[in-house]
Amino acid sequence: MSESQGEGAEPAVRPWIRPDGQAKATGQAHYTADLAFSGLAHARLLLAGRVHARIIRIDTARARAMPGVLAILTQDDVPERRYGSFDFVLDRTLFARDVVRFEGEVVAAVAALTPDQAAAAVAAIEVDYADLPPVLDVEAALQPGSPLVHDAIATYAHDLNLDPAGNLAGRSTIVKGDAAGAIAAAPIVVSERYVADMAHPVPIEPHTVTAEWSGDRVTIQSSTQVPFYARTKTAEVLEIPEHRIRVAVSHLGGGFGGKCDFHFEGHVAALARAARRPVRLVLSRREEFLAPDKVTHAMVVDIETGLNEDGTILARRARLILDCGAYASDTPILGQVASMMIAGPYRIPHVDIEALSVYTNRTPSGSVRAPTGPQACWAVEQHHDVLAARVGLDPVEFRRRNLVRDGDEGPTRQRHEGNGAVETLERAVAAILAGGPLGPHEAIGVASGWWFSAPGPSGAFVRIEGDGSGRIVTGAQENGTGAVMALPILAAEELGMRPEDFAITYQDTDAGPYDGGSSGSQTTFNNGRAVVEAAREVRRQLLELAAVALEASVADLELRDGHAGVVGSPDRRISIAELAATAHGGALLLARGSGMPPEAPEHDASMCVGRLGFESFAAPTFFCHAARIRVDPATGIVRTLKVVAATDVGRVLNETGALGQMTGGVVMALGNATTEGTVFGADGRQRNASLLDYKLLTSADAPEIEAIFVEFPASNGGPRGSKGVGEPPIVATAGAVANAIAAATGARVRRLPMTPERVWRAVRTGDDGAAEANAPFGPVPIGAAAGG
Amino acid sequence: MTTRFAAPTTIEAALAILSADRDARPVAGGTDLVVAARQGRKPLPASIVAIDRIAELAQHGVSDRALVLGGLTTHDWIASSADVAAIWAALADAASIIGSPATRATGTIGGNLMNASPAAETTGPLIVLGANVMLRAIGRGSRIVPVEGLAVAPGRTVASADELLTTVIVPPQPENSGSAYVRLEYRRAMEIAVVGAAARVTLSDDGRIAAARIALTSVAPTVVRAPEAEAALASGTADPSTFRAAAEAAAAAAQPIDDVRASAEYRRAMLVVVVARTLAAAVARARGEAIPMPASRWAHGQEV
Repeated sequence: MSESQGEGAEPAVRPWIRPDGQAKATGQAHYTADLAFSGLAHARLLLAGRVHARIIRIDTARARAMPGVLAILTQDDVPERRYGSFDFVLDRTLFARDVVRFEGEVVAAVAALTPDQAAAAVAAIEVDYADLPPVLDVEAALQPGSPLVHDAIATYAHDLNLDPAGNLAGRSTIVKGDAAGAIAAAPIVVSERYVADMAHPVPIEPHTVTAEWSGDRVTIQSSTQVPFYARTKTAEVLEIPEHRIRVAVSHLGGGFGGKCDFHFEGHVAALARAARRPVRLVLSRREEFLAPDKVTHAMVVDIETGLNEDGTILARRARLILDCGAYASDTPILGQVASMMIAGPYRIPHVDIEALSVYTNRTPSGSVRAPTGPQACWAVEQHHDVLAARVGLDPVEFRRRNLVRDGDEGPTRQRHEGNGAVETLERAVAAILAGGPLGPHEAIGVASGWWFSAPGPSGAFVRIEGDGSGRIVTGAQENGTGAVMALPILAAEELGMRPEDFAITYQDTDAGPYDGGSSGSQTTFNNGRAVVEAAREVRRQLLELAAVALEASVADLELRDGHAGVVGSPDRRISIAELAATAHGGALLLARGSGMPPEAPEHDASMCVGRLGFESFAAPTFFCHAARIRVDPATGIVRTLKVVAATDVGRVLNETGALGQMTGGVVMALGNATTEGTVFGADGRQRNASLLDYKLLTSADAPEIEAIFVEFPASNGGPRGSKGVGEPPIVATAGAVANAIAAATGARVRRLPMTPERVWRAVRTGDDGAAEANAPFGPVPIGAAAGG
Repeated sequence: MTTRFAAPTTIEAALAILSADRDARPVAGGTDLVVAARQGRKPLPASIVAIDRIAELAQHGVSDRALVLGGLTTHDWIASSADVAAIWAALADAASIIGSPATRATGTIGGNLMNASPAAETTGPLIVLGANVMLRAIGRGSRIVPVEGLAVAPGRTVASADELLTTVIVPPQPENSGSAYVRLEYRRAMEIAVVGAAARVTLSDDGRIAAARIALTSVAPTVVRAPEAEAALASGTADPSTFRAAAEAAAAAAQPIDDVRASAEYRRAMLVVVVARTLAAAVARARGEAIPMPASRWAHGQEV
């Protein structure tokens, strides 16, 4: 299924069955909530349950007197430290201080002997609130006189590239040339608005944290994607040095970005210290929807493009409003990402895109898989179909004319090298058309896009044990994607060993060197480089030993089939096991790797503001998704029959893993596109915080998915020119489905998700949904479940 | 919190507990009870009587041309029964789309009825097929209640706390009749009916509609008959315009609500669609045409 492009093609890697696969498939794998402790106490959080209110009084006296209660904490019991994701805006405290700003905000935490006792105690905590006017509309929030989510924002410390004020957490721009002038002169100008609702990552495993103290050291077992970051933030908010904190992760039951950042490690560590026992917190499914501050961004996209009659894009202006919710989290940097996505992998001479990160009283948004990518791509790729229709071009031809090619310039003049933008389009279209003639109410849509790789520091140790087997000790975190599980492939290739000869020690901050965690599609990209570097050092050590043993020059030696041998002399060889035995009598076979992160491509961001690092896309992945769908025009229900995901991943390192990412990404994207999305009440609270009414797609809904890999290795990429592969597959599907809906019905839906009701309304009335408020509905009827 | 638990193996033993312990609630598959408790909508009862080991309640089959289902009959059995598919097709349509394969293997017909959800899948089909249930209590024997009169409100039935649903009896169906159940579904599994409609249509020898029964799901506090739609069909020709008129009559009379799953406006419009599609499928079956199971996935001969 993969196809090599460019130079340096190496032998295809054989399929690799991940070492943790059998344990997971047979139920033997232990997740954080499975861990056993003696004397375990159970934590429960008191969540605000209202979106904006001043706390008048918290009285825990009655709750403290209840049976089994060991500790109750509020902000009065922990250091008064404000913190924020990556120190963008230090706008929050561990527990609510004086004001609650979203319904899932943690007000207090209880540790008790049983879960029921903890729940009873939480219910007995008395809190008096004075409700404040909720800020729920991002555009109203920007108006003068709007109620403020943070009335003391002027006093908050923040990144110097940001200037938070009022309800604006951050503003950034991506600017090149003179977009206003070029649009004024353009023969054709199209302006549109697209609106996306908030969605959730919904990992199968809810957030789970345990903490156990031993003297002044605490071991935190957490379902985190980012153990080192969780350690840093725990140290910060509890004011203890990092070396006294160990963050370790059992098998992780999915994350999708929802377990990035710092969530409950600080609360549970503080509870365990106060309770003088190990403490475990497991969120309920409802709490999982409300409390972890990581949801996809609700976005308002105003986009305007100037066009020549021949379909050449001349200029683009856009304003994006990202609903960052009650706390800035990492949204300010994602405004930059969203802007780069609205520019897209297209030749556009003049660009002026502004992103505003706006506070509201909703659950904070953040780094959910390819954050802002799916919404932005969905908007801009519909816009491109509209542009194509305006000049009478086929959507594919329109893209063919405008997609970037070797040597073209990006939104901040980054120079594109040879890439798969056009080839993924051609391949995806060919594959979807091969499905035969369309039936009634069927149509095809395409969407192209790009996504960045995320260079960052990352470390690994590689060692050879006395018997010649290998071990990788890495700081990387396995999120379920198989990225860490595939690291042995890279080490084995360097050392002439088999992947199954390696064990992996991972996701434990006491053991492995630093890694940025399972985020940003970066594990193979960064930690893969570290493992390769460490393995190369072990290789050097092995060859030196072999040179002595074989009385040969290092330059004449190779590592192959578990042996070091003289090239061209099959008889002169020695096994790695024998060399390892020798080494264990002296200098051990042991090395570290920490490849310098590849540099961002050259670019010119001098006209941009709010620069936080995404003024260019490093080693970008290019892709095109083509979707074949069928619409039931009477109901608005869209069934996706097939999705082709063609992706330039630089180089396929592990085809089994890459296919898994593509398949899962497309299904997740289809749910985001058609059935998910949070519904809010007029009070700003989530109305569908359950798996019954937050409708993820099921396996029965999954269409045929065809993954096509196109390989244009990146000069500044990961191992062997590879690019990040975890996030790209979720980006383009919604746009392809949207364009197919428009092709099938003649009606364009400019509201995400494109629910049956919205499609039905668009078909019936032409209302595209972009002006629709996030409908505040009445109460849910009781007993509305079926089954038996 | 549940503090008392019993798992009797005979109906008599179960009834004795239900009679003696006012907090006791019978549990069969638990697919509603556990979900509701986990979601915090309704705590588990203080006293649980697990009836899943009562073999007598698990019996099922065709007896004297009637379908006789013990309360523990699973949706999975109903969905895979050739007899049900041939004679009581609407029930098979419904049973085959409840929840997921796991829900259907665990969930029971008795539980589905007694949970009294307005979105329950099997209730509408059983109403149009003229089914009755037997409710039994210790010391009072059994009484027969039509399914149509069983539920009185969301989560509430006419049964008293000491009564147990033992049997569902679905009578033989009229000659020249056919039935179907169609629900609007956003996804293919784990779905709750946004709206649904069940119909049984009997044709006269000249092909006109001799009699019709229609029941609607998720548009009222209980699953309800649609007399206006039935009247609109009376003696009509069995064609799309008649189905449409009946569907519009059903929608005009319904009082759907706004909730997280749909607006009232959309529900009302979709009621027209599902009633018309249900009638088309029921009539086709009455004529002996094959409509694949479940009928929800087909319209105008096309998969939807």
